[in-house]
Amino acid sequence: MPSYTYGKTLLKVDDVSLEYDGRPILKHVSAEIRDIICTDHVQGQVVGFLGPSGIGKTQLFRIIAGLNKPTTGRVTINGADRPVQAGEVGVVAQDYPLFEHRTVMSNLLIAANQKEKDDKAAHDKVVQYLTEFELIDKARLYPVQLSGGQRQRCAIIQQILCSDHFLLMDEPFSGLDLLMLEKTSELIQKVANLDELNTIIVVTHDITAAAAVADHLWLMGREHDPSGNPLPGSHIAETYDLIERDLCWHPQIITQPRFMDFVREVKDRFRTL
Amino acid sequence: MNQAIEVLSPNRVISKQTVRWMVGFQLVLLFFIWIFSPTVFLPKPKEVLNALNEMWMEGLGGELITSFYLNLQAIALATLLSLGMAYLTVIPFFRPIVTLLSKLRFLSMVGLTFFFTLMATTGHELKLFLLVFSVSVFFVTGMAEVVASIPKEKYDLARTLRMGEWRVVYEVVIIGQADKAFEVLRQNAAMGWMMLTMVEGISRSEGGVGAMLLNQNKHFHLSAVFAIQLTILLLGLAQDYAIGLLRTVVCPYADLTLERK
Ligand SMILES: Nc1ncnc2c1ncn2[C@@H]1O[C@H](COP(=O)(O)OP(=O)(O)OP(=O)(O)O)[C@@H](O)[C@H]1O
Ligand SMILES: [Mg+2]
Repeated sequence: MPSYTYGKTLLKVDDVSLEYDGRPILKHVSAEIRDIICTDHVQGQVVGFLGPSGIGKTQLFRIIAGLNKPTTGRVTINGADRPVQAGEVGVVAQDYPLFEHRTVMSNLLIAANQKEKDDKAAHDKVVQYLTEFELIDKARLYPVQLSGGQRQRCAIIQQILCSDHFLLMDEPFSGLDLLMLEKTSELIQKVANLDELNTIIVVTHDITAAAAVADHLWLMGREHDPSGNPLPGSHIAETYDLIERDLCWHPQIITQPRFMDFVREVKDRFRTL
Repeated sequence: MNQAIEVLSPNRVISKQTVRWMVGFQLVLLFFIWIFSPTVFLPKPKEVLNALNEMWMEGLGGELITSFYLNLQAIALATLLSLGMAYLTVIPFFRPIVTLLSKLRFLSMVGLTFFFTLMATTGHELKLFLLVFSVSVFFVTGMAEVVASIPKEKYDLARTLRMGEWRVVYEVVIIGQADKAFEVLRQNAAMGWMMLTMVEGISRSEGGVGAMLLNQNKHFHLSAVFAIQLTILLLGLAQDYAIGLLRTVVCPYADLTLERK
């Protein structure tokens, strides 16, 4: 097992509830992400966020992003004593929106300039990312001229440039073929490990893909009454620590039987949510 | 032969060369229909040309300039007003006002003349007010619709990039919809010419092609009417082309995804 310790709390979901017209959607959701410290290398954080359809993943996602306000409770980042605000947490939405009226370069510059006021420094940073993610020759194109994968990378860079190390991704694996799925997983881990504090939350239906990429899994579910009917309002029903189980940071982990056992365990739990 | 089939099949993208041939053929066909048409009400090309020549001597050029200038002024003002009003719909307070404005489309221009006559000091002003009003009510309707149909995701993208709400308005609503604004402008600028002749009929002090048209109409000078209509059509086409060109220059991304770009 790799040696590691936990550092300070990076993100805290504190007793968040959400109602629409008196109907509870989220009920007392609490969770936290802590800095994972490995002494010999830079280690970011990846959380896989799973749950059945309609359970409230997107709603919690929007609250963590600061785009929606919860009815009660709050989300804080980096130990700040105020709720998270839109912009502090990067959001990569499912269809990878970009400003269609700006070129790739301009899309990234406008994001970089939000944090880096010095134009030269912002430009250098953008070029560095473009090169790193093999987009440098696309810099002058408009978003509609990009392929799906290029667009995804561009949207990720745009958000990374502007956020405080946090990145939320909604269904990054949906509709991808095997090759693209592996590439996207690699991309997520690469982005996570760009900085010690980088933290990525991946919302997905794909349990295997989530387990392969994440160091922690969150499962969202509902409480059940004695006769087994779900009660309204969901919370995080289960969390899994993959580092503790030594299922993390091994290149070929997904081919190993214990990984498959773990996925089966999560799937069984998933069915009871 | 193959190209003929292409041209007659649905959803075909045809080459520029083929387009040229096809349009040329259609124009020639139209011309022949015109020449050989049995209708007596349709003046022959030669008569139209003669009428055009005659009117040119009588100062058609000057009248055109008068009309063109009036129209340009009206479109510029209407654009400023309508875009301004449409952008203001991001603020809830202004939404009912803009909705009301867009309902004024149903008012007749003749009924407004009296009101605007009281406000205007010159005939030019009266015409300008009438034109600006009647173009704006349509323009603002179209543009407010464009603003209202911007999807939530666009706003969220701007917000996740730490933009304040005013900056969001600038990025998403104003420059983000510039290509659509040009399209709405294009439609409404065309309407300007349609209404121009009407307005110039209401106040004839300055002349203009509209007044000229009504004059010729009264005297049943069909070929002259035809000639003026053709001139207006050509001018309108030029204006349409110019706006389209401007759009391509300012918003090069606009047509990238279209099949028939
Ligand atoms: N604007 C709204 N008004 C009322 N209820 C809403 C609204 N938006 C979402 N909901 C409800 O909130 C619940 C959770 O929705 P959410 O989109 O978060 O589900 P999800 O977990 O993301 O599902 P999926 O995996 O299918 O995307 C759903 O039951 C939905 O009907
Ligand atoms: Mg969802």
